[in-house]
Amino acid sequence: MLVVIPARNEQATIAGVASSVMKAHGWDVLVVNDASDDDTASRARAAGAGLLDLPISLGAWGAVQAGIRYASMKGYAYVVSMDADGQHDAATLKSLTRPVREDLADVCIGACVSRASRARRLAWSFFRHVASLPFADLTSGLRVYSRKTFDLVIGPGATLLDYQDVGVLALLQRAGMRIMEVNVPMAPRTSGKSRIFSSWGRVLSYLLQTMMLAMAKQPRMTNRTAVKSRRKGQ
Amino acid sequence: MIATTVLAIGIGLMIIVLVRRDRMHGAYAVWWAFVAIAVMLLGLFPGLVDRIGRELGVIYPPMLILVVAICLLFLKVLTMDIERSRQETQLRHLAQRLAVLERLYEELKAGDEQ
Repeated sequence: MLVVIPARNEQATIAGVASSVMKAHGWDVLVVNDASDDDTASRARAAGAGLLDLPISLGAWGAVQAGIRYASMKGYAYVVSMDADGQHDAATLKSLTRPVREDLADVCIGACVSRASRARRLAWSFFRHVASLPFADLTSGLRVYSRKTFDLVIGPGATLLDYQDVGVLALLQRAGMRIMEVNVPMAPRTSGKSRIFSSWGRVLSYLLQTMMLAMAKQPRMTNRTAVKSRRKGQ
Repeated sequence: MIATTVLAIGIGLMIIVLVRRDRMHGAYAVWWAFVAIAVMLLGLFPGLVDRIGRELGVIYPPMLILVVAICLLFLKVLTMDIERSRQETQLRHLAQRLAVLERLYEELKAGDEQ
């Protein structure tokens, strides 16, 4: 089990987050320093976490991908991705990883819908519909990936994605990976801001990009009707 | 018409200079050489556009040059963005591999020292 924590300028929280995981579970922790300008790298190292130093900033998803690439080369069986800002509670990781460890799922999403504002929930339900993704929390950075998905998520089809949400989930779903959601509590951010929801221009560019992806990556018509009829049958 | 020919020669010379100084990759140079030749033909044979335009039924032949030029530029820019996306994939892949290899190297080094 490797816990990958992508971090860009998170010096205030990174050591606490990394050591809470190590203390609670004894798992290996890999902090992926996404070209930070602050002390993130040295504080992660001082906390005893492994460190991956990206030479250029690749964004949260690019950093997670780098961590999974490392896990794949080192032969880890599972990767947990977790935010560096203290939003995710290390205590929830046991129940989050259980479905994947028991081979009930290939990917498990730590979902927390209540943290989202009304606007964000509206955007999610829209993307859910357009991309035919039946998941409650599309943007959660708390996820478990099993070894089976490694080649797919570090492959060229996932490299151009700028965000880890719709595009990655669509890729996994199309490849027939079993995706499950586990509800977990999440703390409000203790420091820093969401990188995506930091300014209106960014929000707009995020929404437009994700909308394009959602439309372009939706399953082919035949699959889509199958999904719909399955939903009706339930 | 002389102006157009001079322009074509200018483009052609610029391409040759850029290739000589390693400022332009061969594949792109071919495209620009093609542009220079096309402009040259327009300069040397001013009647060419009128004749082609008449054949195609274009009412105002000079528009033909503009339409064709815009279409070609559109294609050029589109292929440039496709190429840029491919390079971006490669760049991200390389950056990740570099970071992973650096880490593996440090682990090896730390293992040796123990």
